[in-house]
Amino acid sequence: MGTILIVDDTLFMRTLLKNILFSGGHTIAGEAANGEEAVAKYKELKPDLVTMDVVMPKVNGIEALKSIKQLDPAARVIMCTAVGQEQMVKLAIKSGAKGYIVKPFQAPKVLEEVKNVLAS
Amino acid sequence: MTEVPLKVEHDGKWVVVKAAVGEDRITLPAPVDKEILFKSIFDLEEKKSVLVLTVKGNPDAIIRIASVEKVLIVLKRLILASCNAYRLMAYFMSPAIRGGVLAKNAQWEKGSIVVVKSGIWFASAAKQICVPLPDVAAIELTKRDVQGKQTDVVRIDHVESGEVVSSLVLCPLSTLQVLANFLKDATKGIDMAGTELDAIDQQVAMLVYSGMDSHAIENMLTIPHKQLDEIYDRIIKLGIAEVTIIRREVQLTTKGVRYISDATKTQTN
Repeated sequence: MGTILIVDDTLFMRTLLKNILFSGGHTIAGEAANGEEAVAKYKELKPDLVTMDVVMPKVNGIEALKSIKQLDPAARVIMCTAVGQEQMVKLAIKSGAKGYIVKPFQAPKVLEEVKNVLAS
Repeated sequence: MTEVPLKVEHDGKWVVVKAAVGEDRITLPAPVDKEILFKSIFDLEEKKSVLVLTVKGNPDAIIRIASVEKVLIVLKRLILASCNAYRLMAYFMSPAIRGGVLAKNAQWEKGSIVVVKSGIWFASAAKQICVPLPDVAAIELTKRDVQGKQTDVVRIDHVESGEVVSSLVLCPLSTLQVLANFLKDATKGIDMAGTELDAIDQQVAMLVYSGMDSHAIENMLTIPHKQLDEIYDRIIKLGIAEVTIIRREVQLTTKGVRYISDATKTQTN
C-alpha cells in the first residue's frame, strides 16, 4: 500500500481513480489538475507513486514526468493514456515512467499495475 | 499421416480413437468411421480442451474432439490453414491490451487471421487464439507506433471474463481495409448506431466498466438512487448493460432496534 498523487485534468477521472485506489487500500496523498500543479504537489507531498494523465493543459504529463524525475530520480510514475495514444508510452518510458494504463481502465488491472510499480 | 490419440464424441459418448492426421484431412477410425477434409470445415470453436468442428455436409456435422494440448495445437494449426474461411497472412499482437493495461511482453507475431462462422482466430505456428464473434466489442482501423513509425493497424476489442482485451493486426493498408470491412460485416450485430448516451449516462457506463458498484457510482456522481435506476433502465434498454444481481436495502424494525440495543447493552456490561 502506498500514498498516491493523482494527476488528471478531469474531475471525473480523478474521482474514479481515487475510488479505485482507495478500494485497494492505498492512501490518496493529493490531486492535481495539470502538469504544473503536479510538480508542485509532488515537491510538497512526496508521494510513493503518481498516476499521471498524458494530455493536460498548461504542462502536459510527459513534461511533468520529466520535471518530477529531475526533482527525484527514484520517483514512481504511472502514465494514463487514452486508447490510441499508446505511442506516447514509449516516450514516457524513455522519460522515466515506471508503468502505464490505458483509458478506459478496469479497477483490478489498475490495482495490479500500481502494486507492481510500488514493488519495483 | 501421423497417428494421434484423441477422444471423440460419438453417439453422446466419448470414445478413444487413434486418429490419422494428414496435411489436408483427419481420419477417425471405428466406431466413429469418418474422414474429414479440412477444407470442408467451416467453423472451429475451442471450448476449454475441446475442439468443436462444423463440417459441411447434408446435414452439416458437428464433431467434438478432445486431446492433450500438444495434439490440439497441431490440429488447430492444420485446420486453420486449410478450412473454409476468410483468411489472410498478417502480423498480429494478441493480447495487446488487457483491462486497460498494455500486456507485458506483447510482441508482433507472424501468422494468419482466420475468420470462421463463430469467431476470429489469430494463428501462428506457436499459438492459436480465438475471439468468439459475440464477444467482439469493437473493430477499428487505427494507427500504432510500430518500430518508431506510425502504422495502420486494425484493433479488435473483445470481452473475456469481464475484461476488455485488445488485439492488433498489421498488414498492408488495402488488406486492412478489406479485413476491417469484413469483420464489421461479420459482427454487424454489435453495430452501435442509435446508441447515443447523454453525458451522465456515459459517465455511469464508464464507471460500470471500471468495476464500480451502484453505491460507489451514486457517491461519485452525487446522484440519488432513483436517478441511477433510471439511467440503468436506459442503458439496459440499449443493450449495453445487463442486470447481474439485485441487491436489497433494508432498515431495522422496532424489534430489530430492540435487538441491537439489547446486544449493545450485553457487550458493554
